[in-house]
Amino acid sequence: ESHTQYERVGADVTMKCGSMDWDAAVTWTANGTDIDESHLNGSYLILKNVDLSHSGQYSCYEGSSWHLKYQTNLRVGTPPKEPVLMCRSNNYPKGFYCSWHLPTPTYMPNSFNISVIHGTKDMVCEKDAVPKNRCHIRYLQLFSTVKYKVTLTVTNPLGKNFTTLTFDEFAIVKPDPPESVVAKPVPNNPRRLEVSWQNPSSWPDPESFPLKFFLRYRPLILDQWQHVELSDGTSHTITDAYAGKEYIIQVAAKDNDIGTWSDWSVAVHATPWTEEPKHLTTEAQITETTSASTSSFMAPPTTKICDKGAMVGSGAMAVCWTAGLVVAAYSVLFI
Amino acid sequence: MAAAESPSAALRRRDLCSRGIRLAGKMRADVVDLLDAYVEQQGLDASASVAAVEGVPLAAVERWDEQTGTQRLLENLAAYRAFRALLAQMLEEQREQLGEADAGLGRALAAVLLQVSAFAYHLEELLRLESRGIPGEEGDEEEEDGPPPPPRLSLFEQKLRGQAVLRELAQWAVRSVRDLRQLAKPSPATGAAPGLAESP
Repeated sequence: ESHTQYERVGADVTMKCGSMDWDAAVTWTANGTDIDESHLNGSYLILKNVDLSHSGQYSCYEGSSWHLKYQTNLRVGTPPKEPVLMCRSNNYPKGFYCSWHLPTPTYMPNSFNISVIHGTKDMVCEKDAVPKNRCHIRYLQLFSTVKYKVTLTVTNPLGKNFTTLTFDEFAIVKPDPPESVVAKPVPNNPRRLEVSWQNPSSWPDPESFPLKFFLRYRPLILDQWQHVELSDGTSHTITDAYAGKEYIIQVAAKDNDIGTWSDWSVAVHATPWTEEPKHLTTEAQITETTSASTSSFMAPPTTKICDKGAMVGSGAMAVCWTAGLVVAAYSVLFI
Repeated sequence: MAAAESPSAALRRRDLCSRGIRLAGKMRADVVDLLDAYVEQQGLDASASVAAVEGVPLAAVERWDEQTGTQRLLENLAAYRAFRALLAQMLEEQREQLGEADAGLGRALAAVLLQVSAFAYHLEELLRLESRGIPGEEGDEEEEDGPPPPPRLSLFEQKLRGQAVLRELAQWAVRSVRDLRQLAKPSPATGAAPGLAESP
C-alpha cells in the first residue's frame, strides 16, 4: 500500500518501515536508489532539514527477503501564503469575474474556495473550466450601493490562508483593450495618420453602455507620448505627426460613466505619407551621377531642390539659383 | 396595440433624452463632489457601508434590461421627487445646525437641489410626450388624519441619512443616464422607444 506524505521545507522527517520493529534489518531506497545507512536510526529513515530535492518515492525493504514493507511518496513544500485575488467586470452590465493565484508555489496540490456575498445575500461564483483559477458571477442587481465581499480561501496539506476583497459594482468595471487597431498614412498628407479601432468584443452592449477612448502616440525616436481623449467614435486622425517618422500608437477604453481605463491595446506602427524623391537637375548632380561612386543622393521629402520658377540659364547649363549658390560655395573651397 | 411614433415626436424624444443625459451627467459629477465634501465636513467614513435609510429611493434594480420605457420614466420621476424633498430637508437641517459656518456646503446642496428639480421636470416632459399622465406627488392630497410626522433624528442620524441620500442620488444619476440611453433607442418594429408605446 502506497502512501503520500507532505512535509514542510526545513522540517526533520522520520519514516517508519511500516510495522517493522526498530531493530529490524531494512534497506531504504529513494526513487530506486539505495539510501546510505548513515541516514538510518535502526529501521527508521531520518531526513533532516528537508528541501524540495527530497521529494520522491521512498521504499523500505526487509533486509534478507527484500520484501517491500513500506512505500511512501514524500512531497516537500510549504503552506500557502496569502493568495492574490482580483475581481473585474470586463462585460458590464452582465457580470464580473474573479481570478486568483498564489504569490509563491507550494509544490503540492492546493484547493481554492471562493465565497461572494452581496449585502446579506450569498452568491454563487461559477468556476471557469479554463483557466482553472477563475470564476464568474452574473449581476442580479444593477446600480446597487451595497458592496460585494469576496473571500478566497486556499488550502493544502500543510495549512490554509485566505484573502478578502470588498468593492462596489462600479469600481471594478474595466473593459478589455480596444481591438483591431489600425493606423494608416493619409495620401498627400505628410503630417497625418488615420487611426481606427473596434470596441472590445467582450463588451456586450456598446450602444447602451458606450465606451470612451484614450489614444496615445509618439515617434519611435522620442520618449514622450501625445494623448487624445475621445468621447465617441472609433477613429481619429492625428494631424501633428512629424513628417517621415515612424510612430507607435496605442488605444485604451473606458465605460463612459463608471470604472477605470482598460490596459493599452497592442501597439501599431505607422509612418506618415512621404513624397517620392524628385530627380535633381543641377550640374553637381550630373557630375556626381557620372562619377565612379555608387552613392545616391536622396532629397529630404519635405524639401525641393529645384522649382521650375527658380531656374537660371537655359539648355544644358540651366541650373536653379539655390543649387548654383551651393556649387559656387563649393568651388570657392577648392580654389 | 403599439401605435407608431410620429417623426416629430421621435425627434423631440431623442432631443429630450440627449439633454437629459447631459443633465444627469453634470448632476452626477456635482453630487460626487458634494458627497466627498459632505463626508469630510461631517466627519463620516466614506468607505463605510450605509444601511438603507427609510424614504431614500434605492437605485438598485433587478432585471433592469427588461424594464419598459414607461417603467423607467415613472421610477426615475418618483425617485427624483423624493430626492427633491430629502435635499430640501437636508438644506434646512444644515442651516439649523451650522448657520453660516458651513455656507459652502449649503450652497452646493442648494445647487444640487436645483439640478434635481430640473431633472424631475425634464422627466415630466418626457412623460407628457408619451401622452402619459403625470402621477401626482405624494402629500398633495389633503387628509383629515394624515400619518404622524416621523420622529426627529439625532444629529448623527441626520448626517448618516445625508450620506445615504447623496450616495443613492449619485447612483440614480448613473442609472438615469443608462435609462435615457435606452429610451433614446428607436424600436425596430414601431419606431417608438422600446417599451414606451406599450399601454400601462
